[in-house]
Amino acid sequence: MELTPKAAVTEFRERIRWMSVVVVLGMVALVTRLFIVQIVQSTQWTRIAEDNVLRRVDLPTTRGIIRDARGRVIATNRPSYNVYVIPGRFRTENFGRLAEYLGLGRDERDRLENRIRGAEGPRRYHQILARADIGREALALIETHRADLPGVQVFAVPVRQYPFGELASHAIGFLNEVNADDLAEYQDRDYRPGERIGRSGLERAWESILRGRRGWVRQEHYIGSAAAAPRNSASESIGGARRLEPVPGRDLVLSLDMELMRSVDRAFRGRPSGSAVVVDVRTGRVLALYSHPSIDPNLLITGIPPALAREIDDNPYRPRIDKTIYESYYPGSTFKPFAALAGLEAEVIDERTQVSCNGRHELGRRVWKCQHNHGIVNLRRALVESCNIYFYTLAETISMDLIARMANEFGLGHRTGIGINQETPGFIPTRAWYVQNFGQFRTGFSLNMAIGQGNTRATVLQMAMAYAALANGGTLFVPQIVERVEGPDGDVIQTFSPTLRRHVNTSAANLTRVTTALAGVVADRAGTAHNAMLSEVTIAGKTGTAQVAHLGLPAGDPRRNWYENRDHAWFAGFAPADDPQIAIVVLVEHGGSGGHEAAPVVSAIVRDWFTRIRPGITAAAADAGAPARRP
Amino acid sequence: MARTLDYRLRDQFDWPLFLVVSTVATLGVVNLYSATSAQIGARSELYIQQIYWLALGGATAVIVASIDYKVFERYAYAAYAASITSLVAVFILGNDIRGVHRWIKIGSFLFQPSEFVKLSLMLAVARYIHRDNRSERWKLRDLLIPGALIGLPLGLIMAQPDLGTALIVGLVAVSVLSLVRIERRTLYTILGSGTVGAWLLWSFGMKAYQKERLTSFLDSTSRDVQGAGWQAHQSIVAVGSGRFTGQGFMRGTQNQHHFLPDTHTDFPFPVWAQEQGFLGASLVVLLFSFLVLWGLRIASTARDRFGTAVAVGVSALFFWHVIFNVGMVTRALPVVGVTLPFFSYGGSSVLTILIGVGLLMNVSMRRQAW
Repeated sequence: MELTPKAAVTEFRERIRWMSVVVVLGMVALVTRLFIVQIVQSTQWTRIAEDNVLRRVDLPTTRGIIRDARGRVIATNRPSYNVYVIPGRFRTENFGRLAEYLGLGRDERDRLENRIRGAEGPRRYHQILARADIGREALALIETHRADLPGVQVFAVPVRQYPFGELASHAIGFLNEVNADDLAEYQDRDYRPGERIGRSGLERAWESILRGRRGWVRQEHYIGSAAAAPRNSASESIGGARRLEPVPGRDLVLSLDMELMRSVDRAFRGRPSGSAVVVDVRTGRVLALYSHPSIDPNLLITGIPPALAREIDDNPYRPRIDKTIYESYYPGSTFKPFAALAGLEAEVIDERTQVSCNGRHELGRRVWKCQHNHGIVNLRRALVESCNIYFYTLAETISMDLIARMANEFGLGHRTGIGINQETPGFIPTRAWYVQNFGQFRTGFSLNMAIGQGNTRATVLQMAMAYAALANGGTLFVPQIVERVEGPDGDVIQTFSPTLRRHVNTSAANLTRVTTALAGVVADRAGTAHNAMLSEVTIAGKTGTAQVAHLGLPAGDPRRNWYENRDHAWFAGFAPADDPQIAIVVLVEHGGSGGHEAAPVVSAIVRDWFTRIRPGITAAAADAGAPARRP
Repeated sequence: MARTLDYRLRDQFDWPLFLVVSTVATLGVVNLYSATSAQIGARSELYIQQIYWLALGGATAVIVASIDYKVFERYAYAAYAASITSLVAVFILGNDIRGVHRWIKIGSFLFQPSEFVKLSLMLAVARYIHRDNRSERWKLRDLLIPGALIGLPLGLIMAQPDLGTALIVGLVAVSVLSLVRIERRTLYTILGSGTVGAWLLWSFGMKAYQKERLTSFLDSTSRDVQGAGWQAHQSIVAVGSGRFTGQGFMRGTQNQHHFLPDTHTDFPFPVWAQEQGFLGASLVVLLFSFLVLWGLRIASTARDRFGTAVAVGVSALFFWHVIFNVGMVTRALPVVGVTLPFFSYGGSSVLTILIGVGLLMNVSMRRQAW
C-alpha cells in the first residue's frame, strides 16, 4: 500500500469528532422531544388515550313527569328500544334475518346495508342506528336470537308519552329533536344531536326544570373482534371517576284538572273550533286551558308523517293555533261590563240612568242598530238584554280613554304573563291611537269600542282573568298553571303561591252593581243566556256575539264562506253567582249567537264541575286532610 | 490460527459493545412480547421467532467478527453486485404484497434484499474510500463513481416502493462518504443542486397524497382518522400518555386496545414509551446513543480507512434508524416507515443489524495493525 494506514485514519479523526457532535445533538433532540410529549404535553395525550379505551357512554336522565292538580299523569316517559349495529362485529350473512326481525322496508334495508358496508377503518366499530323504537315483537325476536346476532345491540331510551293525547296539548306542548339552531343557541346546556328538547308549551317553558342532567359511565372500548379483547382491562391502568349518575328531571304539578278538561271537551262536542278557559277566581290558578281542535302530541314526538302534516296545515279550524292565548278576538258584548264600570266610576251613569232604545241610534249619517227594540233600559237591563243603544249613548258622553283605562285595569290590552307559548297582548284602542292611525278621531270609534268591536281585541285567557277580577271583588291575578315543582320521590321542591297583578281601581259598590246585573243575564227570563240557567248552581256572566271582520272573503267553497262569515260566540262569566269560585270563558269560533252557542257550553261545564268533579275533590281532601297528589 | 483467534477474543473482545447490544436486544424482545400480546394467532408468537433470528444473527455476527475484515474489503464489490442482483430479482421473483415489491420468498421466509443493501453499499463505499489515494480534496468528478454506487440501489429501492429503506440506505452511504474531504465549491454545488432538485420534486414530482403525508405531522390539530394521520396520532397519544413512569409492562392501553397499528414493525416504540414512560423511553435512546458513539470511537481507532468507514457506516445505520423511528412516532418527523433496530420484528432486519454489529466488533478487535 502506498499510504500508511495509520496516517489515513488520522485524517478522518476530526470528521468523526464532528459526527459525534451531530449524534449527541440528534439524541438530545430526541430526548427533548420525548420530554415535551411525555411530560409537558402528557395531560393532553393521557386524556385522549383514556377516552380511546374508556369511552364515555351517556347515561340518559329521565325527564320530569307532568301531573294535573289531582295527580293524573299528563306527560310521562316510556322506554323506546333502539337497535344498533357495530359493522366490525356484525356478520353480513345475518343481514337478511336482522332486516326481517326489524321489519325494514326495501329502501330502509338498502340504506342500512350501504351504511354497514360503507363503514371503514375505526368507524367499523362505531354504532349505527338500525331502527329506533322497535315494537315488542321485534324486541322479543332480537332478544331471543341475541346469541346468533353478534354486533347487534339493543338500547332502551326513554321517549315522552302523553296519556291524554290531544287534550290540553297546546298548554303542555311537546318535544322533538334538537336542531342545528338549538345546538348553536344553547351551547352551554350541552345538548347532543338526537336529543329531544321541549318545543312548545310547558315542555318548552319549563325545559330546564323538567330535563334533568345527563350522566355518563366509562365503558371499556377496543378495536377489533371480540376475540381480540384486551388481556388487561384499561380500568386497572387508568384511574379517575368511572361513573356520574344522572340527575332525573323534576316533576311539575299543574293547576289544570284533566277531568274538567274532559268535561270541556265533551261540552264542545259538535263545535268544530273554539277555546275555553276556567280559572279559580280566588287564586288565578288555571283549571282548564282548552283550545280546539288540537293535535295529539304523541304524533309530534317522532316527527309527523308528511301526509298528516299536510292535513293539519289544510285544516280550516287551525289546530296548530292556541286559541286561548295566541289568537285574539273582538270581545263583543262581553266587553260591556268594563264600559259600564268606566261610566259608573266617572259618575256619568248610575243604576237609575235610563236610555230609550228604539232599535236604532243615529250618529251623523250612519245608523247604529240594536238587536231588539228594548224600549226604556237602565244599566241592569242593558247588560241583561245586551242593549247596544245604552252603550252607544254612554260612549257619546264619556271619553273613550276612560273606558280604555278601565279595560286596562282589568288586564285587557296587556299580556297576562302565563309564561307558556307566545301570548298576544290583544288591543284596547285610545283616542291618541285613532288620531295617529286614522288622522282624526270620530265618535263612531267610541261607539264600536264600547260594545267590544272596532279595533278592540282580547284573548280568551285575558277575558277569563278579567271576569275573575270582576267576580272576586277586583283582584287581578297573573294566571298560574304550575302549582309546584316536585322531586322524583314526590318531595315538594317549590310551591308557587298566587301572583297578584293588581287591585282594580274601582269601588266595591260599582263592582256589585255590574256583577248583580251579570247574574241576571242567566237568571232573568229576558237574559240573553237564560237558556243556560241551571237548577244546581247559579251562573253570572255576559254573552257576546262578536262580528267578524268582513274583509277579502276567499272565493270558492260557499259553505266555507258561510261558516267564516258567522259571528264568534262568547260567554264570559263566573259561578256560583253569589259566591264566585270559578271564572269561565268560552269562545266558539264562528258559532253565531253567544247566548245560543257559547252559554250552553258554559252551563254544561259548570254543572259538571260543581255536581261531579269538585265534590270528588272536596271529599278526597276531607279524607286525606290535603288534596290528593297521586292517583 | 485457532490459538491466535482465542487469544484475540479473550484480549480484544469489545465487552461494552457486546453488553449494550445484548441489553437493547433483550429490551426489544421483551417489548415485542408485550406489543404482540394484544394480537391473536401466529402474530402473538412473533417474539419467539425474533429470538430465533437473534440467535441466528448472533452466530453470524461471531463468524463475521472472526474473519479479518480485509476479506470483506476484498469482496465488497462482489457483495454489492450480488445485492443489486437481488434487488432486481425482487421485481421478477418478488412477492407482491399490497402492491409493494419488497420481498423474495425463500421457503416460508420472506427475504428482504433492501435490508442487506444497507451493508453491501456501505462496504462498497468504504472500499472506494479505502482505495482512494488522492491527497487533495475531492472534486465533483471524483464523486461520480461513489455517486453511481449509491444511486443505483437507491433507485431500485424507491421503485419497490420503499421510501423508508431508501432513505436509510442513502443516509448511511452518504454518512460514510462524508468522511472524505470535499472541495468547498463542489460541496456548495451539491447542496445547491440538492435544494433545487428537492424543490422540483416537490412541485412536479409528487402526488398530493404524498405531500399530505409529509406535511400532516406538522399540523398538531390534524385528526385525519384514516391512514397515516391516524397512525401518527395514535402513536403520539401512546407516547404522551406514558408520562414519567409509564402504565406498566403489558398494560399499555393503546396497544392492548388495538389503537396502535403495526406494533411489531414500525410502531413498537410507542408501546414501550406508553408502558415504560419517559424513563424507559429515554433509557432506550441513551443506550442507542452509547452504541452509536461507541461505534464512532471504534471508527476513530480503527487500523485503516476501510475499518473506519465500516464502523462509521454501522454507527450511522443505528443513528438514522433511531432518529427517524423515534422522530416519527413522536410526530417530530413524517411517517416514513423506518424500523427501530432490535425492537421491530423482522428476520432480514435482525440479520442485517447483527452482521453490522459483527463488523463493528471485527474492526474493534483489530485496532492494532500487526
